[in-house]
Amino acid sequence: MAGQTTDQTGFSDVAAGVDAVIPARKQSWFQYYLPSILIFIFAIVTWELFVRLFSIQEFLLPAPSAIYNSLSLNLNQLLKLGWFTTKEALGGFAIGCSLGILVALATARWTIATEALMPFAIAANSVPILAFAPILNNWFGVDNPLSKMAIVAVIVFFPVMINTVRGLTLVDANALELMASYAASEFDTLFRLRVPNALPYIFNALKVAAALSMIGAIVSEYFGGNRSALGVYITQEAAQFRFANAWAAIILACIVGITLYLIVLTVERFAIPWHPSVRGEER
Amino acid sequence: MPPTVSIQNVSKVFNPGETNQVLALKEINLDILPGEFVSIIGPSGCGKSTLLRLIGDLIPPSSGAVLVNGKPAPQARLDQDYGMVFQAATLYEWRTVSKNVQLPLELQSVPKAERESRAREMLALVELSGFENHHPWQLSGGMQQRVAIARALVMRPQLLLMDEPFGALDEMTRERMNQELHTIWEQTNKTAVFITHSIAEAVFLSTRVVVMSVRPGRITQVIDIDLPRHRDVDTRETTRYFELVNLVREALRRAEAGL
Ligand SMILES: Nc1ncnc2c1ncn2[C@@H]1O[C@H](COP(=O)(O)OP(=O)(O)OP(=O)(O)O)[C@@H](O)[C@H]1O
Ligand SMILES: [Mg+2]
Repeated sequence: MAGQTTDQTGFSDVAAGVDAVIPARKQSWFQYYLPSILIFIFAIVTWELFVRLFSIQEFLLPAPSAIYNSLSLNLNQLLKLGWFTTKEALGGFAIGCSLGILVALATARWTIATEALMPFAIAANSVPILAFAPILNNWFGVDNPLSKMAIVAVIVFFPVMINTVRGLTLVDANALELMASYAASEFDTLFRLRVPNALPYIFNALKVAAALSMIGAIVSEYFGGNRSALGVYITQEAAQFRFANAWAAIILACIVGITLYLIVLTVERFAIPWHPSVRGEER
Repeated sequence: MPPTVSIQNVSKVFNPGETNQVLALKEINLDILPGEFVSIIGPSGCGKSTLLRLIGDLIPPSSGAVLVNGKPAPQARLDQDYGMVFQAATLYEWRTVSKNVQLPLELQSVPKAERESRAREMLALVELSGFENHHPWQLSGGMQQRVAIARALVMRPQLLLMDEPFGALDEMTRERMNQELHTIWEQTNKTAVFITHSIAEAVFLSTRVVVMSVRPGRITQVIDIDLPRHRDVDTRETTRYFELVNLVREALRRAEAGL
């Protein structure tokens, strides 16, 4: 162990203690994820056996093998459709999240504005915004990807804005007093204290938003959209009883959703390595 | 020369007019002269931290006036006339130890190279060399508190306001830190207001010890510490030191009994 040499200061033990509290991930990556991988394989196998043994009709539940066949057969087309919808999701995500953060930054400055806005934001956040999809389809045109981006943007805007406001305002009173003792400007207090304090909140919201954006894009396509959109494809294939195709598209959508989430997670690891949720410790 | 800190008939009521109204401080009068080291000692909840916040203009008094360097306290805060160590270390967890110490310098736009060298110097002073790039959560409570002291000293303020800075330290480290603080005070002619629960620490460091009592918080006694200005390990073994420790202990006992 480090720091076992003795010196006059007597701080060597303390230094050793510091090394001890740094979280060390002893398990390898494989050991860590092994249980999840096993559960996944088990679920797929059970699903396949279940469908075969009970001769489940395809329109109820296709077997994983059938879905896989459809996926590999239509891969090129599915990827093209998937990319189209992913672009809608990403566009909406970018617009909604940046607006959410900007509005939060603008209003957190004025307590009165925040207090007046927050009840509306929280109410809006619990409204099923997807219900507005047909209306936005009308505004921008069903074929226009902008109509889907708008829906996604509105959906992700509220959780991002609410969480950012929370992060900017729920600051430790002592930390604020410290800034006050330095007679720090509002600007310095915002960027050296409130914003860093808000980052973990913002990343939590971005993770939620990443998942929501793919859901939002697909579901709003169910209400009509461009022929080259994944949601439109799913509804068409389902209407024509090609359920394995519909399922293949759904699986693709899931993979995209999870990927978006993982991207945000990775960015978070680099952006706030100091936060307990990233260090792998509970507060 | 005006007193460095002048507290004139100051009272502080928290939540006035509400059911949870607290009279935290009642009619406090205290002048602290330049170069003095004044310790404040008293039972928990008697308003020591409140008094320090009033001097630092982090809260306003309900009545009375606080002057720092002859100026109203708000002006002194704007002029950065003091450095403060809070009861909780209050380090920013997204900053490394060195960056935490540099924070007040950053706010004054001190160039990076100078910031870093001054932070290193201060961290050496509190025996934390080599921990520059650690994060606060990698340090023990006592080490965090020493980072906070380094942060308060890095601006070289003439007036130091310290709220139980050594509360989380073991006895031996505390004595070493006392010696460091004493040396800084002795060599740089600073004025200090120092809150503590340790009688030994108060007597060792101070030129005066202010004893407070609770409900309402008020000053019950002020004891002059007439030890020689220079203090070292031998000071703790002199008869006068023991007499003064006993004197403060008596005063504290009376304060706690509400006499
Ligand atoms: N912000 C506040 N709002 C309401 N009451 C407060 C506030 N701050 C302090 N008080 C009350 O004022 C009194 C004095 O508190 P203070 O923190 O100054 O005590 P203290 O002497 O520093 O105690 P300790 O030795 O435990 O730190 C306490 O009764 C406390 O409950
Ligand atoms: Mg206190």
